[in-house]
Amino acid sequence: MPPRAVPDRVAIERGSKPLFQRALLRRTGVRFGGERSSALTVLAAPDLAAPPVSRIARAIRVTAGLRGAGGLLLILAVLAVFAVRAPSFLDPANLGLILSQSAVLGILSLGLTLVLITGGTDVIAGGIDLSLAGTLGLSAAVFAGLNQAGFGDPACAAAALGTGLAVGLVNAGAILLLRIPPLLATLAVMNICAGLELVVTENSTIPAASPLIDALGGTGPLDIPVLGYLLLALALGLAALLRVTPLGLRAEAVGGHPAAARAAGIATGRYVAGSYIASGLLGGVAGIVSVAFLNGATGGSSEMLLPVVATAFLGFMVSRRFVPTITGTLLATLFLGSLTNGFQLLHVSTYWVNGIEGALILAVVGAGRVRGRAA
Amino acid sequence: MADAFSSLSRRGLFHAGVALGTAALLPGAAQAAEAAPAAGTLSLKGKTIAISVAGTDHFFDLKAYQAQVETVKELGGTPIGLDAGRSDKALVSQLQTLVTQKPDAVIQTLGTLTVVDPWLKKLRQAGIPVFSVDLPSANVINTATSDNFSLGAQLALQLVSDINGRGNIVAFNGFSGVPVCEIRYTQLRTVLKYYPEAKIIQPELRDVIPNTVQDAYAQITALLAKYPEPGSIAAIWSAWDIPQLGATQALIAAGRTEIRTYGVDGTPEVLALVKDPKAPAGAVAAQQPSVIGRTAVLNVARYFAGETNLPSQTFVPAIIANKANAGEVQRQLGQA
Repeated sequence: MPPRAVPDRVAIERGSKPLFQRALLRRTGVRFGGERSSALTVLAAPDLAAPPVSRIARAIRVTAGLRGAGGLLLILAVLAVFAVRAPSFLDPANLGLILSQSAVLGILSLGLTLVLITGGTDVIAGGIDLSLAGTLGLSAAVFAGLNQAGFGDPACAAAALGTGLAVGLVNAGAILLLRIPPLLATLAVMNICAGLELVVTENSTIPAASPLIDALGGTGPLDIPVLGYLLLALALGLAALLRVTPLGLRAEAVGGHPAAARAAGIATGRYVAGSYIASGLLGGVAGIVSVAFLNGATGGSSEMLLPVVATAFLGFMVSRRFVPTITGTLLATLFLGSLTNGFQLLHVSTYWVNGIEGALILAVVGAGRVRGRAA
Repeated sequence: MADAFSSLSRRGLFHAGVALGTAALLPGAAQAAEAAPAAGTLSLKGKTIAISVAGTDHFFDLKAYQAQVETVKELGGTPIGLDAGRSDKALVSQLQTLVTQKPDAVIQTLGTLTVVDPWLKKLRQAGIPVFSVDLPSANVINTATSDNFSLGAQLALQLVSDINGRGNIVAFNGFSGVPVCEIRYTQLRTVLKYYPEAKIIQPELRDVIPNTVQDAYAQITALLAKYPEPGSIAAIWSAWDIPQLGATQALIAAGRTEIRTYGVDGTPEVLALVKDPKAPAGAVAAQQPSVIGRTAVLNVARYFAGETNLPSQTFVPAIIANKANAGEVQRQLGQA
């Protein structure tokens, strides 16, 4: 394909070209359900388009900022309660624990975030990767299985990452070549992964021990576990990749309005395929991290599926523009990790914690939406 | 359940033999089953005790967990109840957090040894005394448990006796990483070594958590289709009794009640099936989860009272309930 003009952030945000106005409106229509009608009205009256759109865009930006702030404020309030009631909550060692305990969930959620950014956030028609938890289980099983068979770390790690890569490729192929909706394609691949995991593990726990496992399971500078650093490094690396290079903006354009992105010269298929492959790879990384965390491969990875989806979507609420972002997902992951940790420090019985966590998530989401409407 | 007994009768029963270090299995007409040992002058006043459990979705875990929480409160301590909900990740996380949380003691109930042991070791290295229920480990001061060596052998002997020492045995062996399950399975193999005409069908079946009952039902139904001849399977063995429940129901549904099932724990539904003369449940090794849980907490209190020479394992008696004595066992366990 010959090189063509590529939209830049300014062009999209200012809506300086009709194409990008449509892209913006379409995106706002999708993301701000309630405002869809006003966006469509503007579309129907193109003469009025230029000045009102910039006003609408500004209003939307302000609204979205407040929405994010509502959720963030509530999160900060919850953390403050933990810090006051359980002083050890803020110990560097405890904060490090929260980071490392969030590593598996966080890495998987980062993968899903990439898919949501590039595939769009419509739950039915947009991007989704339900196979992530299955990928985690399978690649952990592959790593531990090879470890038990006497293979060294490089071979085990390569096989685990290769497993993730393969899952990503199958997802991308099913979605782009066979045109299966992502929800169904990745659901099927999830089942394939779960089945293969059972074949490898015979449904029993495979212990694993190796220098890599020891290193990952160890503690780094400042008493913070290595897995915590790994989660931060991956999140910051991905955030930088999406902010500094044009990749992020283009991926957002593909997710927001594929037709507009294609017309602007973006190879949308490659971006979508890339997001699933990256997601698969992150699933592979999470598999290795999980082996390090549990000193082996154990069943039950499928239980990670709903937390992963919930975390990625909760990430919207703490993002400024109410869209999937790497930093939003990281914050959501750490918030959920803090809840589990904080309640244990407060001596709250586990029986209460699930319900309280659910209520708090609802409150965070609700706070975002109420603040948004009030503005 | 424990509170149903007055402290006086508790003390009496304690002296009657449901106590520290007894490796004896109760005979058929045993006394004092599922009666709580007395706390005496033991106290946990001012102590925070973490009760960490792999899950509370089964009869055994739930009863053991509840008894621990109740006993800590009874002795004036503060329990931190931590239920990992059968998630190894949650289990490791809660143990990790305990290292920084520094309770006065930790009691870990069940779990896959390779997964939890590194963290029990970290707790020990952090100077926190670690006790356990049904989890023997070098990193715990004492584990309160049934004598799984004896009950495993007794259950296996009941099995070979019921099938006259010959026939095909289906074994669920999905949790060999859980030490108590491994011990029971090893005892089955040891007994079968002397009955060469009794064989375990290969490959062995894998029991799962969750959906244990449904999964065992489906696996046994499929296996019955593979072995349609009456007499081609003599017995079904599992290391606990939730797979036994699913297997027994599958046998009833398929009309293959000539096959007998065997398991461990004494979950009320299973014990009722063992008692039912028409049901194909052959026997179940009934444990006393409440007593086991209570014993673990009493051991923690003994440790704080200066008894540092606790045995590494405190055995709580278990009873083999078979077709002949199941009703009696139900009464003893308060399940009748």
